[in-house]
Amino acid sequence: MGSSDPDEALLLRVADGDPAAVRALVGRKLPRILGLAHRMLGDAAEAEDVAQEAFLRIWRQAPKWRPGAARFDTWLHRVALNLCYDRLRRRREVVTDSPPERADEGPAPDRGLMAQDTGVRVAQALQRLPDRQREAIVLCHYQELGNIEAAATMGVTVEALESLLSRGRRSLRVALMDLAEPQRG
Amino acid sequence: MDRRRFEDLAGAYGGDIARWPEAARDDAALLAAADPEFAAAVLAREGGLDAILHEAPRVAASSALFEAIMRTAPPLRRRAPWRRWIAPAGLGAGLAAVTAAGMVIGAQFGWSPILDKQSVASSVADLDVSSISEVG
Repeated sequence: MGSSDPDEALLLRVADGDPAAVRALVGRKLPRILGLAHRMLGDAAEAEDVAQEAFLRIWRQAPKWRPGAARFDTWLHRVALNLCYDRLRRRREVVTDSPPERADEGPAPDRGLMAQDTGVRVAQALQRLPDRQREAIVLCHYQELGNIEAAATMGVTVEALESLLSRGRRSLRVALMDLAEPQRG
Repeated sequence: MDRRRFEDLAGAYGGDIARWPEAARDDAALLAAADPEFAAAVLAREGGLDAILHEAPRVAASSALFEAIMRTAPPLRRRAPWRRWIAPAGLGAGLAAVTAAGMVIGAQFGWSPILDKQSVASSVADLDVSSISEVG
């Protein structure tokens, strides 16, 4: 009987503490969790904290995982997002004069300067989005989840997801319009 | 699919139809074939934003982070020998094993070999399984 969840077999071995399976799962999921957390939080150190905490949750959950209940990757995205939102809520509770992270806007070598500037501006524009719009864009554009899976992860309908994506992309276009040039197909 | 819906989908999912919802791709391709100038303009506009978003910084997982996570992983658990062949075989073999265990228990206590499911289940429940890990 085949499973549609590509992580299921690995997870069963992780539950037994199989070192090779553990290493494979970390290799498979760490970049995704780290990327998601970094784009949600805009802070590399906090993203690493989220990744470590997410894996602690994986180790606790692996022995209890019931195949067929949910896709593991969907569950993992939700766990990582909840950890991100915990940190976002804590930021709002702390009165501060400065934002959590400022990208380095100092001098940079000419070569790659444009790319660095673009990357910094994109990161800043993402951080300025409302959390839910940023979440929708991170899940669909960067994590490449399908619309149904992304909507399920966010706990919204597909229509609501599309609304969040559209509004988020419109805001990003306004913020980055001097950089965006139509792509010729 | 009409022009409005095509624009809505591009506005949400970007300039690459291959990344649109699967259910919409065929209709989108049909519209693009029937109305190529309109479709190309919409896709080009959204594709431009996609390219910019692609420039967002990527953070790589350091080896230090990798190893720190590895250190928190659960230790290798030794499973009872009879468990090792159950796990690959799945639930059906698990039920067979419970039945077999019940028969062993029955033989040990001189019970009748004809055991109903209830007595097998309760007998297995009475076993000390603290050293045996759960199967999947």
